[in-house]
Amino acid sequence: MVPTEYYVGLSAILFALGSVGVLTRRSAIMLFLSVELMLNAANLAMVAFARGWAASGSKTALDGQTAVFIVLAIAAAEVAVGLGILVAIFRNRVSTNVDELAEVRG
Amino acid sequence: MNDLVAWASLAPLLALVGSLINAFFGRSLKEPAPGIIASVAVGLGFVLSLLAFFGIAGTGEAVRVGLWDFLRAGDLELSLGFHLDQLSVLMMLIITGVGFLIHVYSIGYMHGDDGYSRYFAQMNLFVASMLVLVMADSFVFMFVGWEGVGVCSFLLIGFWYKDLANASAGRKAFIVNRVGDFGFLVAMFLTFKVFGTLDIQTVNAMAPTMLYGSAALTGIGLLYLLAATGKSAQLPLQVWLPDAMAGPTPVSALIHAATMVTAGVYLIARTSAVYAVAPGALATVAWVGVLTALIAAIAAVGQTDIKRVLAYSTISQVGFMIAAVGAGAYWAGIFHVFTHAFFKGLLFLAAGSVMHALGGEQDMRKMGGLGKRMKITGTTALIATLAIAGVPFLSSFFSKDAILAATFTSGTLADAGGGVLYALLLITAGITALYMFRWYYLVFAGPERLDRGASQRVHESPGVMTVPLVVLAIGSVLAGYVGLPAFLTDNRIMNWLSHSTTTGEFTHLGVATEWLMLLGAVVVAFIGLGVGYWVYVVGKGALVKRLDNTPIAGASRGAFGFDALYKAVFVDTGSGAAEAVTLLDREVVDRGFVGLGGVAPLLGGLIRRWQSGNVRAYAFAMLLGAAGLTLVAALVGVLK
Amino acid sequence: MVGFIILAVILVAGGVGVVLLRQPVHAALSLVATLLALAVTYVTLQAHFLAAIQVIVYAGAILVLFLFVIMLLNVGGETSVDRVTWLKPAAWIAGGITVAGVVAIAFLSRTPLPEAAVVNAALGGGNADRIGEVLFSDYLLAFQLVGVLLMTGVVAAVSLVQRAAPETRPQRGPAARGAPHEPFLGVRHPEEHAGDVAHGSH
Repeated sequence: MVPTEYYVGLSAILFALGSVGVLTRRSAIMLFLSVELMLNAANLAMVAFARGWAASGSKTALDGQTAVFIVLAIAAAEVAVGLGILVAIFRNRVSTNVDELAEVRG
Repeated sequence: MNDLVAWASLAPLLALVGSLINAFFGRSLKEPAPGIIASVAVGLGFVLSLLAFFGIAGTGEAVRVGLWDFLRAGDLELSLGFHLDQLSVLMMLIITGVGFLIHVYSIGYMHGDDGYSRYFAQMNLFVASMLVLVMADSFVFMFVGWEGVGVCSFLLIGFWYKDLANASAGRKAFIVNRVGDFGFLVAMFLTFKVFGTLDIQTVNAMAPTMLYGSAALTGIGLLYLLAATGKSAQLPLQVWLPDAMAGPTPVSALIHAATMVTAGVYLIARTSAVYAVAPGALATVAWVGVLTALIAAIAAVGQTDIKRVLAYSTISQVGFMIAAVGAGAYWAGIFHVFTHAFFKGLLFLAAGSVMHALGGEQDMRKMGGLGKRMKITGTTALIATLAIAGVPFLSSFFSKDAILAATFTSGTLADAGGGVLYALLLITAGITALYMFRWYYLVFAGPERLDRGASQRVHESPGVMTVPLVVLAIGSVLAGYVGLPAFLTDNRIMNWLSHSTTTGEFTHLGVATEWLMLLGAVVVAFIGLGVGYWVYVVGKGALVKRLDNTPIAGASRGAFGFDALYKAVFVDTGSGAAEAVTLLDREVVDRGFVGLGGVAPLLGGLIRRWQSGNVRAYAFAMLLGAAGLTLVAALVGVLK
Repeated sequence: MVGFIILAVILVAGGVGVVLLRQPVHAALSLVATLLALAVTYVTLQAHFLAAIQVIVYAGAILVLFLFVIMLLNVGGETSVDRVTWLKPAAWIAGGITVAGVVAIAFLSRTPLPEAAVVNAALGGGNADRIGEVLFSDYLLAFQLVGVLLMTGVVAAVSLVQRAAPETRPQRGPAARGAPHEPFLGVRHPEEHAGDVAHGSH
C-alpha cells in the first residue's frame, strides 16, 4: 500500500494549486472553482489519514471519513450560498472581475 | 480666676469671625459697617486681653488652654493650645489695643475705597494670626500664626494690587519672609531632634540641662535668629520693609511698626531659656541688631519719602530691640516693643493723616509748614518725634536707656565686644534724633513747599482719624513709666516679665555710673536734635545740598545697596534660569512632541497601502500566513 | 503504486487545468476530471461510500450548479488586464513554499502503515453501514447541525436571488411601478438600479 505521506504530499500540491488559482483568477466563478479544489485536497488528506489510523481501532479510523462526509455537506451548502451571492452581485454588472469589488478599501 | 484668663483665648476667634463676616458679606454692607464690625471684633479682643491681664496679675501663674490634638506620629506628639502668661498677655494687649485704634483710624482713612470690606477682612485676619502667634504653646502653632501674619502682610501690602509696583512689593515681602520661614522650619526640626518635643514651655524647662554652648543649641539659636530677621526686617533680610510702604498707611502702622515686625523679638524672648545656654547665638543676635540699627539709621537720613524714613526708622528701632534680647535683657526688648508701638504707630498714622490731607502726596520735599494748618496731627507728631529721639520723661527715653545699659553691662556680651556695641548703639541713638528732627521739620515746620492745588486742599483730618492720634500720643508719653530704671525704683515691667523669660547675667554698676549713662543718653539725644536744628533751621539746609553728591549720601539714599545686590545675585540669576528653561521647554520639548505626533501620519500613510480593497491581495496575505506557519512547523520538526 | 501514480497525474493535471484554463467551462470540466479521479482515489483508500458520495454530490450536483451559474451569468474568458501584476508570481512562490513545508512535515513525521488486514477490519471498506454507525452515535449532534446548516443554505440561496413579487412591492404611484426593489443583502447599487426598471436582461 502507498504510504500516507505520499497522499499528504499530493494533497498539498492540490491545495497549493487551488490557492494559486484563488489568487490568480480574476473572475469570481473561477475563484470559486479553485476554492472547491482546495476543499477536495483537504478531503483527500483526511481520507489518507483515516486509513493510517486503522491500527488505533475502528472508530478512530472512521473518524476521518466521517469528517470528510461532513466537509462534503458543508462544501455543498457553501457553494449554494456563495453562488447565490455571486449571482446577486454580478447580475447587474458586465464583467465578473473580482478586482472591481474593492469597496472595502482603507 | 483661671477661667477669666482662659476667656482670652476667644480673642483670635473673634477676630477670625470678624474677618469671615467681612470676607463673605462685606461687599453687601454699606460703609462704614465693615469697619465697625472689624473694630468691634478687635475691641472685644482688647477687653478680653485686659481681663486676662488682670487675671494673671492676680495669680502670677500662667494659664494653659488646650485646644485640640493635632498630630500623633511615633515619638511626635503635637497638641495645639494657648499658653497665656505675662509675656503673651502683654503682647496681646499691644496687638489688640493699638490694633483697635488703628482699625478705628482706618474707618476714616479707607473711606471711599473700593476694597473697603476686603481691607477690614484682611486686617482682622492679621490680628487673629498675630494673636495666635503670641498665644501659641507649641512651635508648630506659633508657626501657623507666623505664616498667617506673613500672608496677611502680603495681602495688605499689595492691597491696591492693580498697580504692579504694589503687587511686586507684596511679592518681595513674602519671598524674603520665606527665607526666614525656612529658618524657622529647620529650627523646629532641630528642636525636635535635640529636645524631643515642640512644646515651648517644655523646651524652656529642659534647656538649662542641655550642654552649654553646644553646636546643636547654637544652631537652633541661629536658625531662630534667621526667622526673626525675616519677620522683623533685620540684616540681611531687611530689604522688604521699605518697599512694604506701598500698602495703605494704617497697614504700615499696624503691621510694620507695632506688631508683625516685633514677632521676631517675641520669638527670641520666648525661647530665652534656649539662648541662655547658647551664648554664641546670643552674641550673634546682638551684633545683628546693632549693625542693622546703625545701617538703617544712616539710610533714614537720606530718604525723601515720608513713609520710607519711618520704614528705615522701624528697622533701626527693631534693631535696638534685637540688640536688647541679644544682650540677655529680654524684658528690655519687649519694653521697647511696648513703647515703640505707641510712638511709631502714631508717627505712621500722622503720616497717613498728612497724605490724606494732601491727596496722596508722599514726597517730603513737597511738604512743609503743615503744623500750622493741621494742629492736632502736627502736635501729636511732635510728641512722637521727641519720644523716639529719647527726650527725657517721654516713653522711649526709658526703654532706650534700658537697652543701652543692658548692652553695656551684659555678661554674655562682655567677651563679644559689649563696649563696642554700646558705643554703636549710642551713636545710632544720636542719628535717630537727627533724622526724626529732619522728618518733622520737613513735613510740619519750616517754609511751605506745597503744590498749589494741594495747598488749597489741606485740612485737618476727621475726628475718627485724629482721636486715635491723641490716644497714641498719650501712650507715647506715659508708656515708659512702667519701666523706670531699677536702680531708682521698682521696674514694674522687668518684674512682670521675669516670670516668663530668663534674664542674663549683668554686671552690677554703681549708682553713679548708672546716672552717668542716663545723662549720656540724654546728651546724645540733644546733640542729635541740635545738629538737626543747626543744619535745617539755622543753615536752611545748605549743608545738605553741599553733601548731596558725597558717597555717604549715596549710600544713605540707596540704603547701602542691599536691594541692588540681591537683585543682581538672586533675582536676575533666577529669571535668567527661568528664561533658559522656558526656551528649552518651548524649542526642545514642545517641538519634540509635535514632531512625535508627525510620526503617526507617516506610519499611517505607509500602512494605508495595504488596505487596497483588493480581495485577492487579502487572500494572498492569508495564504502567506498559512505558508509561513507550515514552514515554521517544518523547521521545528527538522530541528527536533 | 502504479495506480497511485496514474491517479496522481490525473489529479494534478486537472488542478493545473483549473488554474490555467481561460474559458470557465473548460476549467469546470477540468475540475470534474479531478473530482472523478479523486473518487477513484477514495476507493483505493478503502472509503467506498465516500467515493460514491463524492461523485454524486460534487461532480453531480455542485459542478452542475457551477455550470448553470456560468451559463446564467454568461461568464466569458478573462479579458481585462490584470492590475495587480505582482500577485501571480508571488502566489506561485507562496504556494510552492506551502507545498514544501507540508511535504517536509509529512515526511518527517511518517508512521508505519498498519497491515492490510487490520485496515480492512477497522474500516470495513468504509461502507455506508460502518460510517452510519459512527455518524449516528458519536457525531449525532454534528450530523443534526449539518442538517440545519443545509437548510440555512437553502433559505439563504433562495432569498438571495429572489425578487420581491410584484404585488408586494411598495406602491408609489404610476411612476413607481417597476421601481427598484430593495436589495436583500443591503448591497446597495442605487446608481445601477435606477435604470433597472423591468429589463429582462437576467
